[in-house]
Amino acid sequence: MSLKKLDILLADDDTDDCLFFKDALEALPVFTKFTAVHDGEQLMQLLTDEAKKLPDILFLDLNMPRKNGFECLTEIKQNKKLKNLPVVIFSTSIEQEVVNLLYDNGAHFFIRKPAEFALFKKIILFTLKLIMQENVLKPEKENFVLSIEHSLIV
Amino acid sequence: MGNLTTADEDKLSIANKKLLLQNEEKEKKAAELSIANKELIFQNEEKEKRAAELIIANKELIFQNEEKEKRAAELIIANKELAFQNEEKEKRAAELIIANKELAFQNEEKEKRAAELIIANKELAFQNEEKEKRAAELIIANKELAFQNEEKEKRAAELIIANKELLAFTYISSHDLQEPLRKIQTFVTIILDNEVKNLSDKGKYNFQRMQLAAQRMQQLIDDLLAFSRINSTDHKFEETDLTRIIEEVKSDLRDTIQEKHATIEIGELCPVNLITFQFQQLMYNLISNALKFSKPNIPAHIIIKSRIMKGSVLNNDRLAAANYIKNNDNGEHEIFSDQKNYCHISIQDNGIGFEPHFNERIFGVFQKLHSKEVYAGTGIGLAIVKKIVENHKGLITATGKLNKGATFDIYIPAN
Repeated sequence: MSLKKLDILLADDDTDDCLFFKDALEALPVFTKFTAVHDGEQLMQLLTDEAKKLPDILFLDLNMPRKNGFECLTEIKQNKKLKNLPVVIFSTSIEQEVVNLLYDNGAHFFIRKPAEFALFKKIILFTLKLIMQENVLKPEKENFVLSIEHSLIV
Repeated sequence: MGNLTTADEDKLSIANKKLLLQNEEKEKKAAELSIANKELIFQNEEKEKRAAELIIANKELIFQNEEKEKRAAELIIANKELAFQNEEKEKRAAELIIANKELAFQNEEKEKRAAELIIANKELAFQNEEKEKRAAELIIANKELAFQNEEKEKRAAELIIANKELLAFTYISSHDLQEPLRKIQTFVTIILDNEVKNLSDKGKYNFQRMQLAAQRMQQLIDDLLAFSRINSTDHKFEETDLTRIIEEVKSDLRDTIQEKHATIEIGELCPVNLITFQFQQLMYNLISNALKFSKPNIPAHIIIKSRIMKGSVLNNDRLAAANYIKNNDNGEHEIFSDQKNYCHISIQDNGIGFEPHFNERIFGVFQKLHSKEVYAGTGIGLAIVKKIVENHKGLITATGKLNKGATFDIYIPAN
């Protein structure tokens, strides 16, 4: 992995998921700075804070209190300063219409949270590698949804 | 004369006397003749007068004769004219006779027609009455339908509410139910990964069972969601190549196909208007089912084919009809529209089949014929298949015999 310290931001209201994410990052051979926010308003405040540096990648949950993931994604992609931030949707459920809408709204990848912790770690590592390799380019639609099968190929 | 006797004298006297008498008689006759002569003279004179008169009368007659001849000549001419006119009249009369006969014939025809019209009129009057009766019946039937319509509208309104509730439930199960379940699974895997050394064998076993139960619940939720998503019919139909769909499914299932040494034979296929992604799901479910329920140690052989058939032909197909009537016992016996075309797709396998009396039940939600330990699955696959076929306004039947394979016949309206 790169020597550069990856600045990772997670927006998820679920304490357990934040814990899983943190544990996964700690268990993975990556050099990261991890921050978590727990609702959409907090997220947008943090991102628009002039004093703070933008993260390298945002993992965004959809169902959050106060401001949901859809609204945050739209605001990010409409904001000149934020629109190049890679946004990875991190959600429990997967529904084709929702996935299509997210792709059209400019999200980078879609991940369905795996139930097995080992897979959870794998998919996060795979996503981080992709973001680094692809030089933050948005993928083709057929590669939008990341799954365990993808992570096994690499 | 000298010797005269008395007797002679007597005789002479008598002769004298006789002569005298004769004389007298002749004188009388002479007088009479003279009178007759005078008479004749007078008659003669009269006759001469008469002759003179006759001459005059003759002249008059000659004149009259001439006049009569002139008249006769005129009459001859007039007669010829009359004869000509007569002929003309006869001709006319002949023509009139013919015309009369024609008229008489036409008259008869008209009478026949009139008689027929009278009968037809009676028939129409009868039909009119029947129509009035029908109209009266239709009015009653219409009222009945209006009532039924109202009832249906009420039901539809109720259904809309129920549907909204169902959608809400779908959303809850799609997200809110899955989240805690996923976390149970994640925690279990963390414990099994990190705490294995602190667990007894029984404890490890129980965690593994817990993990299996959670996985199964996850599968149930996923399948139930897949089933409820098939509900939405606002997808677009497009002309679809079944071969492409089958090839994609084969590629998705290539591992299982290899493992089962399966051959999938694609027969003649016709293009058909479909909701492509739904039919992909349908083919996936049917083919993976055929692979799953193949006989152990016997290579699976699946035959897929389709062709366009007329509804009238399918209506004659007793098997399809019998299956359909069993499936939809609502008194409708006309299954296919005679004039419409249908795409008949059949998927046949040589697997373990099923007892024929399960041919409807297998399409029910959560209906399984085997325990999940023997054949994994939630029993939703065929329910999804049936729903997809119904979204296409089609019909599906299953035919099976235990250990003799199964055949699924799908009929989709084709343009």
